[in-house]
Amino acid sequence: MKSVLKHKSAWLRASLVCAVLTLSGLIQSIQVKNVEPYDLQYPANFGSRFVIPADNPTTKDGVYLGRLLFYEKALSANNNISCESCHQQSLAFTDGKPFSIGTDGSLTSRSSMSLANLLWVRNFFWDGRSPSLEDQAKFPLTDPHEMGQPLSESAKKLSNNKLYPPLFAKAFGSSIITQDQILKALSQFERTLISAGSNYDRYLAGKYMPTAQQLRGLQLFENGPDPKNGIRGANCGHCHGGVKNFKELFHNNGLDSVAADRGREQFTGQRTDRARFRVPTLRNIMLTAPYMHDGRFATIEQVLDHYNEHIQQSPTLSAFLQNISNEPDGKYLALTKEEKSDLTAFLVMLTDSSFITNPAFSNPHPISNP
Amino acid sequence: MLSPKIFKHSLAATVLLFLSVTFSLFAQNTATLSISGEVATPLELKIADLASFKQLSHKVKDRDGKEHEFSGVALIDILEKAGVTIGSKLRGENLAKYLLISAADGYEVLYSLAEIDPDFTDQVILLATTKDGQALANGEGPFRIIAPNEKKAARWIREVRSMKIGFAKN
Repeated sequence: MKSVLKHKSAWLRASLVCAVLTLSGLIQSIQVKNVEPYDLQYPANFGSRFVIPADNPTTKDGVYLGRLLFYEKALSANNNISCESCHQQSLAFTDGKPFSIGTDGSLTSRSSMSLANLLWVRNFFWDGRSPSLEDQAKFPLTDPHEMGQPLSESAKKLSNNKLYPPLFAKAFGSSIITQDQILKALSQFERTLISAGSNYDRYLAGKYMPTAQQLRGLQLFENGPDPKNGIRGANCGHCHGGVKNFKELFHNNGLDSVAADRGREQFTGQRTDRARFRVPTLRNIMLTAPYMHDGRFATIEQVLDHYNEHIQQSPTLSAFLQNISNEPDGKYLALTKEEKSDLTAFLVMLTDSSFITNPAFSNPHPISNP
Repeated sequence: MLSPKIFKHSLAATVLLFLSVTFSLFAQNTATLSISGEVATPLELKIADLASFKQLSHKVKDRDGKEHEFSGVALIDILEKAGVTIGSKLRGENLAKYLLISAADGYEVLYSLAEIDPDFTDQVILLATTKDGQALANGEGPFRIIAPNEKKAARWIREVRSMKIGFAKN
């Protein structure tokens, strides 16, 4: 009799446990199903050639969490820097430095890149080594010259912070914070950093009339030089053209005859990729100085001078930077001083002031540490 | 007598030439072309592997406005080797398949399979490896597509590194 009773209470306990588990599972699935999708808005001419991973849909809760994490210094080993330190909104998410300073005071090996329209990028970093935002995020978080903290440590620190477990529960259905979820949330926020409000966008939409100088700059930007037919050009659009001012390309743009940084070759192992780097977006280009992967040019004028008269020969120099000139049989681009000013006037049209002031991208922490 | 300055310059030029020639030979020998996606047999081809295919050439005007003779193998033969659904199998849903060609610099162009198949078109698209008898230069080779009937050369993609067969999914 006693044993039967014991048996019964064991059954009761087991079924109770089952019920609780099922119920919590149900609640969890309801929570995940109830998450509100974040509506990514962009002009139709930007196109939809992007892939959002099926296991990381963009949701309002996920984006908000990612935004908090983007500005979270606890993600660095010495609690002194966040993603923002190298990606400031006012500078179109760059930091104005040739190289950035990491958590331990050391310098990064390449210049911080602008974070605009990453939704359309398929291979990240200057050398394109990372195939997704989710994958990309772990590099700056853990690199000793950047934030320098293992993801496991970041998950632990966030778990011990009262703010985060409920937010992870809302975004991912569980308050147990995982490394993967940190990367996912950051990626969700980064997908929302869409820049589509420049005067160039308005011009394409027929809502902005460029100045005469800007129009001359636009023509030079788009045209390849053709001295035989009297067409002057800078051929910028060949690699930087299109409505987003971005094409996903990797080229050796003739900075050095012998490159100190092997660029994409480090990742592909192919010698033909030596000193090839991402052709960066020109969106907000006037805000993202200094320029090039090593930030060697402080001004846009120096950049134009480089393409105009200082291209260095090497075996992997881009074919598109060879033998193009506004002079018959010329070796260099040979733009005039006025033409360079016209180009700069056009590049100003690519500045998106609504992007750098959009409150949805700013630091959401109530007290931001100085 | 040569002045030391000129001598120095010509020496530097010789060294640079030597370096770029060895570089180019090295690049030719190691570069591979991958064919993947909706294929029966994924391939990794080196220049030397193309010797077993039927060789052909096209005389066409390139971007420089001059006529050049490009030689290599028919793109369709490569697809056949990889077991792509061409010929009698190019029907039904297979007509929604495409070939996405990617270059070393990230440039991409696309052909539908029917644009390549000789049952559909007289144009023989060439996977070229030489131009006027010389191996294609860095920045152009070692593999380049030549589509002789296309008025615009935008799909004559240079530095071909990979080809992927896919289904249009929409």
